[in-house]
Amino acid sequence: MSYFLTQLANGLSYGLILGLIAVGFVIVFTSTGVLNFAHGSVLLTGAYLVAVLQDPIGFWAAVLVGIAGAALLGVLINAVLVRNLAEANPGTAAILMLGVDILLLTELTRRIGNRVLPIGAPWGADVVTFGGITLPTSRAIAAGLAVVVFGVLWFLFARTGAGVAMRAAAADGDTASLMGIRLTRTGAAGWALAGALAAIAGIFLASFPSPGIAPTLALTAFAAIPAWVLGGFDSVVGAIVGGLIIGVVTALAVGYESDLHFLGRGLGEVVPYAVMILVLLVRPSGLFGRQEAVRV
Amino acid sequence: MKHRTRTTLALAGTIALLAACSTEDPDAGGGGGSAEGDVETGSGVTDDTITVGMLTDLSGPFAAGAAVQVTQTQAFYDRLNEEGGVCGRDVEVEVQDHGYDPQRAVSLYRSMAPNIVALQQVLGGPTSAAVLPLAEADGMYLGGHGWAGVALEYENAQIPGTTYSIEGANAVDYLVDELGLAEGDKIGVVYFVGDYGSNSLEGAQHAAEERGLEIVPQEITPRDTDLSAQVSALQQAGVSGVILAAAPAQLASLAGVMASQGMDVPIVGNTPTFGPSLLETTAGPALLENFYTVTSIAPYSLDEPGVEEARELYEAADPDGELGWEVPLASAQARLLTTALERACEEGDLTPEGVVAAMRQTSDLDTEGLFATPLDYTEVTEPPTRTVYVSRASADAPGGLEVLGTVEGPSAQSYTFG
Repeated sequence: MSYFLTQLANGLSYGLILGLIAVGFVIVFTSTGVLNFAHGSVLLTGAYLVAVLQDPIGFWAAVLVGIAGAALLGVLINAVLVRNLAEANPGTAAILMLGVDILLLTELTRRIGNRVLPIGAPWGADVVTFGGITLPTSRAIAAGLAVVVFGVLWFLFARTGAGVAMRAAAADGDTASLMGIRLTRTGAAGWALAGALAAIAGIFLASFPSPGIAPTLALTAFAAIPAWVLGGFDSVVGAIVGGLIIGVVTALAVGYESDLHFLGRGLGEVVPYAVMILVLLVRPSGLFGRQEAVRV
Repeated sequence: MKHRTRTTLALAGTIALLAACSTEDPDAGGGGGSAEGDVETGSGVTDDTITVGMLTDLSGPFAAGAAVQVTQTQAFYDRLNEEGGVCGRDVEVEVQDHGYDPQRAVSLYRSMAPNIVALQQVLGGPTSAAVLPLAEADGMYLGGHGWAGVALEYENAQIPGTTYSIEGANAVDYLVDELGLAEGDKIGVVYFVGDYGSNSLEGAQHAAEERGLEIVPQEITPRDTDLSAQVSALQQAGVSGVILAAAPAQLASLAGVMASQGMDVPIVGNTPTFGPSLLETTAGPALLENFYTVTSIAPYSLDEPGVEEARELYEAADPDGELGWEVPLASAQARLLTTALERACEEGDLTPEGVVAAMRQTSDLDTEGLFATPLDYTEVTEPPTRTVYVSRASADAPGGLEVLGTVEGPSAQSYTFG
């Protein structure tokens, strides 16, 4: 039983981190209509800044710089590249983002080299044990922080003028624009928010039980894509729920692989996509996605 | 006007592309003549130079380690040329970047083949798998392709040491003979699916059958850097040792999580699993406690003349470089090719085919400690050796590994290829 609970706790905490990344995908998509395939390298940039700065300026200051840096990078990508696209075609923007991702990743790979950079977090390799469950301290903190961040996001979107403006812009950009909402501002805010969330996720993904920053960290962001899609592309709640589902299913598939060996090895790799496809078969717009209005 | 420029550009591009794709006879280029007595020459050899090619990854996932190998290979040939070169000629290295893309590797090979006599290196599993059959058809020597067992199917491939499967079999033998595992015990194998990890798993499975142990396989990908779930599963299965066929990031996670869950069992890694920077991560203490590695190539710290020479060359070429197994490996690979070139020269046939034939006559080759035993390349389908170095993590040894000795266990001897 404690084995099951341990795997479940692992899955939930990992799922909440995936949720942070998936929410970033959603916010960028709803605020500027871009499928942000550069999200992984923005995440890596934030985490990389923390790793190289934690020694000279201390971990907490480095965290602030890392989050601000990733947010700024997002804003720059939006201001310099996305807004200059001649026509807002999601396909063009997605390919542009793939290009940005390759450029950023190549530079970061060059800087990181074949080293694994420690993130230098104060929780180190500690673990917490409660009720027979052992969980890395970093994961427990990540889970708690993610819940707080989601709470702040809810408050932002539901209770503040800026948040309401962002939701209005996402719901109907043209009308919102006519109502005096500046889409350039809501777009920049969306990219900044997504960058900051990615940096937070990156810090925890590079903490124990992962060894530190390596270029493969950028690929982890892609693990959040099934969560984003099954949650319904444009739903923040969907992204969080999607992250939790993918996290738990992956952890259980790996943990019980020996009992599921008739399905073959390497199940953890396939299961997120299998779940995503199953959900999309039943609900084509994802769990919480907006139904497209179809005129007959 | 604008249109005409565009058309011209497109035309020029097409012509360049066609030229790059043309399958010119590899024997057509080069000098053809002979400065040194009656040595027959073909592509890549002129009266005063021998050109060898390196297709490596300078922009993809293995860029950092690949750059170390390029630096070291260049330093090796610079010194060789100062000492008189090979066959009265200087050896030049033509380096191209395939970025770990098999398609690009093939195009680069096509454009490079007419100008080189041999391929010093095609780095990477999928990239070398793409180039190997083409090089074989051209009769072109290909080295430095890693240790996947599939290379033993090719006459033109010179594997730098033994295979991952023999490493895996030796790892099991070492766990049983030296680290106290016994019949009936379980060994976890955490591996990258593909020609590296799967090959290591095959060797471990063979050895486990021979020695009466059970393998608990866990498949992962390079993206997995948090191995919590895998470790929990291995702990649940009750393994007494773990073999890892992955990369440094996975090793650090595996060792760190095992330590945090109180799993005090040895970890034995294949050659590419370790990097010295891991000792600075949170997994450092766990690695010092439990990590061993079985390697074809000598670790950086080994005190043998071949490795000492490699270290000295590298530290002069790049005083701040990372001290890993890539350094002795690049020296060893350059030495293997140099040996083949020298023999080809003696035989009077310095054509690409002549180099392959000379390589296949190499037996009992002493590498002064770069490899664990003398090497024998006369049998295509047999590895040149079945002995590996065993080392463990050490905070004091340069490169982070301290050599414990060599191993050629009974299961490594009984493993069959084919």
